[in-house]
Parts: sequence; C-alpha cells; structure tokens
Amino acid sequence: MDKVELLSPAGDLERLKVTLLYGADAVYIGGEKYSLRANANNFSLAEIREGCLFAHKLGKRVHLTLNIVFHNEDMEEVEDYIHEVVDCGIDAFIVSDPFIISYIKSHFPQVEVHLSTQNSTSNYKAVEYFQEEGVDRVVLARELSKKQIQEIVEKSKIDIEVFIHGAMCTCFSGRCALSNYVTNRDANRGGCAQVCRFQFQTTEEKDFTMALKDMNMAEYIEDLIEIGVKSFKVEGRMRSLYYLATVIGTYRAIIDSHYDHTLTEEKMKVFQERLDRVANRETSTHYFMKKADYTDQYYSGRGELSNQDYLGQVISYHDDLLKFYERNYFEVGDLIEVFTPAGDHISFVVSELYDEKMNPEMVARHPDQIYYLKQHFDVSIPEYSMLRILKRKED
Amino acid sequence: MKLLVECSQKEQLYLDSIDGIILPLEGFSVESVLSFSMDEIKRIKRESHCEVFVKLNKNFMNEDIEDLKNILIELDQLKIDGVFFYDLAVLQIKKEMHLMLPLIWNQTHMVNNMKTCNYYHSKGVEYALVGKEITLEEIHEILEGTSMKIMVEVVSRPSVAFSKRSLITNYYHDLQKEGGNSLTVTEGVSNRSFRLLENEDGTSFFLDTITNGVGVIQDLYRWKTSYIVMREYGMESFFGELVHDTKDYIQKNCEDSSYVLKYQKLGDYTNFFFQKTIYRVKKNG
Repeated sequence: MDKVELLSPAGDLERLKVTLLYGADAVYIGGEKYSLRANANNFSLAEIREGCLFAHKLGKRVHLTLNIVFHNEDMEEVEDYIHEVVDCGIDAFIVSDPFIISYIKSHFPQVEVHLSTQNSTSNYKAVEYFQEEGVDRVVLARELSKKQIQEIVEKSKIDIEVFIHGAMCTCFSGRCALSNYVTNRDANRGGCAQVCRFQFQTTEEKDFTMALKDMNMAEYIEDLIEIGVKSFKVEGRMRSLYYLATVIGTYRAIIDSHYDHTLTEEKMKVFQERLDRVANRETSTHYFMKKADYTDQYYSGRGELSNQDYLGQVISYHDDLLKFYERNYFEVGDLIEVFTPAGDHISFVVSELYDEKMNPEMVARHPDQIYYLKQHFDVSIPEYSMLRILKRKED
Repeated sequence: MKLLVECSQKEQLYLDSIDGIILPLEGFSVESVLSFSMDEIKRIKRESHCEVFVKLNKNFMNEDIEDLKNILIELDQLKIDGVFFYDLAVLQIKKEMHLMLPLIWNQTHMVNNMKTCNYYHSKGVEYALVGKEITLEEIHEILEGTSMKIMVEVVSRPSVAFSKRSLITNYYHDLQKEGGNSLTVTEGVSNRSFRLLENEDGTSFFLDTITNGVGVIQDLYRWKTSYIVMREYGMESFFGELVHDTKDYIQKNCEDSSYVLKYQKLGDYTNFFFQKTIYRVKKNG
C-alpha cells in the first residue's frame, strides 16, 4: 500500500534539507517569481537545482509554487521560467491559473501539475473539470468537512491533497482582496499583508477581529488516510527550522505509527503535546467535524505567543561533546531534550556546558553563539538535531 | 457598449433605462445584497426587454451539485442571456450537459490577464467580468488581446472578500449581544471602512467607498468594451438617475462632458483604475 505523502513547506535551501531529513516525502518551494509568498527568501534557479538533487538522492520530491493570480505583465516571462525550472528537475508545479496548467501540460507532460488551494476547489464536479484538463492533483479548499472530502476522493480519479497543519485564511483562498484595499499589497500575487489578523473599529465597545486559530489535524490523520487522501500539506514557508523540524517530525511519527499499527492513545498524547508546544497560536480542526463557528476564532488581537522552547541547533556530536548554535536562554540544571531527524527524542539534565573556547559556563545566554554540552548518548546525534527545554530548574 | 446593472432593491429594477440586469439566484450567489428566486427570475425574463444575466457565483459544495445541474438546465431552457460563475463546476456541467447557456467568467479577483481570458474563451466561455484590482491600462491590454466579450465594473461599492464563516454572528457572540446581519468596520491605520453582510452562506465584505469610474467610461467605449457594470448598493437614492444619465451618455457616444462633471459628486475614489498594487516589499536574500 502506498503511504500518504507528507508535504512540507521550505522557505529556503536549509529548510528544504532539514524538513526532508525530518521525514517529509516532498517539499513545496517558491521560486523568485510567481509564488504567493513574494516576501519569503525564495529559491534562485541554482538553489532549485540543488534542492532537487538533494531531494532526489533521498528518493523525495520537490514541488514548485507558481500560484499567483497572473496579470498581463506576469505572463511575459513565465513561459521561459517554466522551461528553466523544469530543467532544474522539479517534480510538480502548484498552479492556480488554468492557462498556465494547459501550457505546462502541453509542453511538459512528464511534469505533474497540482491545482493550488488558491482556487478553493470545494466539490467533485470542479475536480472533474481539472482532471479533464490534465491536472494530476487537486489541493482542496480548507472549508470542507470530512464527509465532503470523502465524497470528493471517492468520485475523483486524481490525487487529492489537503492541508493538515498551520495558519488559516479567514476568507476563501483567492476570494479576498482585503490586503489590496487596506495596504495596496496584492493578496493574490504574493503580497498578502494578512489583514484578516488586523483589528477593526466598530460602534461597539470592542474591536472587530476575525483572526483564526491555526489548523491542527493530528487527531484525524488516521481518518484522512482511511478516506484516501493522497497528500498531507503543512502550511508555513516562512516558519523557522525548529518549527518545521518539530511539526514534520511529529506528523512523520504519527503517519508511520498508523501504518505499522502502533499508534496508541498514549503516543498520540505525546505527539499532540509536541505540536502544541511549538505552536504560537491555539489550534482547531475547523470545518472537519462541524460547521466552523465561534470557537475557531480569536476575539482579541492577533492571538500569537512567542515560543521560548527552542534552545539550539546541533552542529555535530563527537566524543560525548554536542556542539550547537544557541537560540534561547537555558542553564545548567535544566531538563532539556535533544531530538533528531531520525525521530529519536532523548531527555537529560544539563550538567556540563562550555563556550566555544571550552570555558565552563553555567548559562547559555547568547543567541547564535556556539556552545558545547558534555553528554553521552547511545544514538547518533547528527547535524540539524534540535534542542528544546522540557523543564527549567527553577520551575 | 451596453449598461449592465445589479440592483439592491426589488421594487425598482430600472428595466427601462438599462441594457441588462444581473439577478443573483437565491442560495447560489454570494457577494450581493439582494437575491431572486427562480420564479422571480422567470417573471423578469418574461416581462422585460433587456438582457437578463443570472449570478451563480458561490463556491459550491458537493451537496449543491445536483441542484446546480437542474438550475443550469432550467436557465438554459429559459434562454437566459448569461450566467456569472466562480466555481468551475458550472463550466463542467455546461460541458457535460451540452448546454447553450452563455457563461461569464467571474472569479472576482482572478480575472486579470488576457491569456487566461483566451483560455476560457477556448472552453466556450463568452464573457469575462474583469477583476477590480487591475489598472485601466491592463484592462485596455485585455480588450486588445482577447476576442472575449469584456465587462468592466465602473461604479459600485466593490465586493472585496468573502468568507464562509459567520463573522458577524461570532463577533456578537463574543460581545454577548444580539447583532444583526450587517456591520461596518474600519481599519484604523488606512482608515478604510468595509460593510459586512452575513447570510447562511457566509460573510461578504464590501468597500464602504464608492468607486467612481464615470471618468473611464469614455475610454472603455472607445476601446469597444462590451459592457460596463454598475451596482446599486449604497447608492439607492440617486441610482435611477445615474443609470438613466449613463445610458444617455453612451447613446451620445460618451462625448458629453457634463455627464462626467455631474457625477463628480460620487467622489474621487477610482479604485485601482490608476493605481498599481505592489506585492514585493523587500528584496530576496
């Protein structure tokens, strides 16, 4: 049986590598043009080529977003660009414009085309339209229930992809130009200013807000697999390495545990806790089991929390010495955890900490500086393993 | 060039002054303040001499599809002059059922370039209502670059967003108050206000400023635009006079400058006709 695909965002080459190492089956990236995150550190052609080589060596795939809503001027060079990125080795395009779909399909039938969620496809008949246009996969609207997704999967002959985790738009994707009208930034060409997270005055005593809680579908991953969804997409091309490592690593573990029949309630509790700790907003499953309602929104500002759990990123581990870049303050005596791309999670109390010149330290307090931890581990702790706090000693 | 109108009150449809009317169908259209039952549409089609267009611009769910099929068949038999659509299910059903019904590509913020217009034209879509977030120059390029019949919305409080969520209900739930189905909200920094309208399909956002495109009608006429569109919402007190004068202006080849002067009173907001949106706010790297 083919496993469901776990599809991760990657805002740059480092994220691409990390997220594939942490268990994503494929990544989606944006090039320097035509992607809906115009202000992310998008990929140059050389980086796309390198990313594809890296992914393909691991037997994984790279999808490129080409999902802006095109104006005439955007069309001028897009055909050349498509040729260039196909040459770099990408496996699939994520597209919203049907002209672009037809162009790619007529010139590069070997490359997959996925219909972007920007089209907010919400029924089997619309899927059928794109199926007949040669689209290989449809990314569904985020406004659908389990029953609706199931019916679409049953009635469609092409792959169906759904979002499982991350930030949500308040309006239907593609059906919102609030950013254009409030900030003059084009929502549908990658400039969205996230106006749905702004506050608005009314004649009432409290401001109007419509910001949404993030999506977290961990508890329904098994349902989605059983329904027959082919790909699970995580949102967040602009998210941190730590966030991606945690979220992708956790979903990898959930999916693998499902397939090897080891997913217990206890394990799910641990997985859910990991996802909750890395989240900077509350989460919801939105439309999946009910009509979205009052409980899925925030009513006071943006509702974001800063996360101090992330302590460091591992550079190397030899002779019981763990070398890492520090990210957040911690000290000797704290209970921390190292987690690896292979899925190992090892907790320990910090006993010996050194600066880059091997002077003993009691605290790590300088973000981006190199430190060492002396600690024995029975497993390999490779580069891009991550450190996080579990319990501070004063707690 | 024809004048197409979407009204906001059933009592006054201006049928004698206009070339065509847009009738949003109850339960199948969004981003409109008024909708019509199928019986009302049939009656208007029977009784009026103007063109009758029906708006079916919802994002449809699976459970809508059978009804949508029946409606499209009925509208086809009625020989409706055109159906505005957002969801590609409409085009797929037209294709499957071999309907003759003319379609208008109306993906609100997406109708922005000529190549995609030509794509839809090749699929049997006759008209496109261009997006409101493109410039007049871009509209001109589209008009030059496609043989599709182009519609341009020139006067309205433009619809700017649509959510499936009950945002007004949720807001009043939080306030623990009874609220209605409409609300005006203002973003403080830009000072932009929006009118929100909620029904069982979700919440529509309208800019609370009138787009005054009266000054571009002459260019659109010269460029052989097929239709200009005016929407009444928020202009009820003078809309009848506006459509009458506009029709007269078009009949006189859009050369009467007193018409443009008269409607300066609609304000100087011209939406994106002369303003380009930006989307890259910092350099890569």
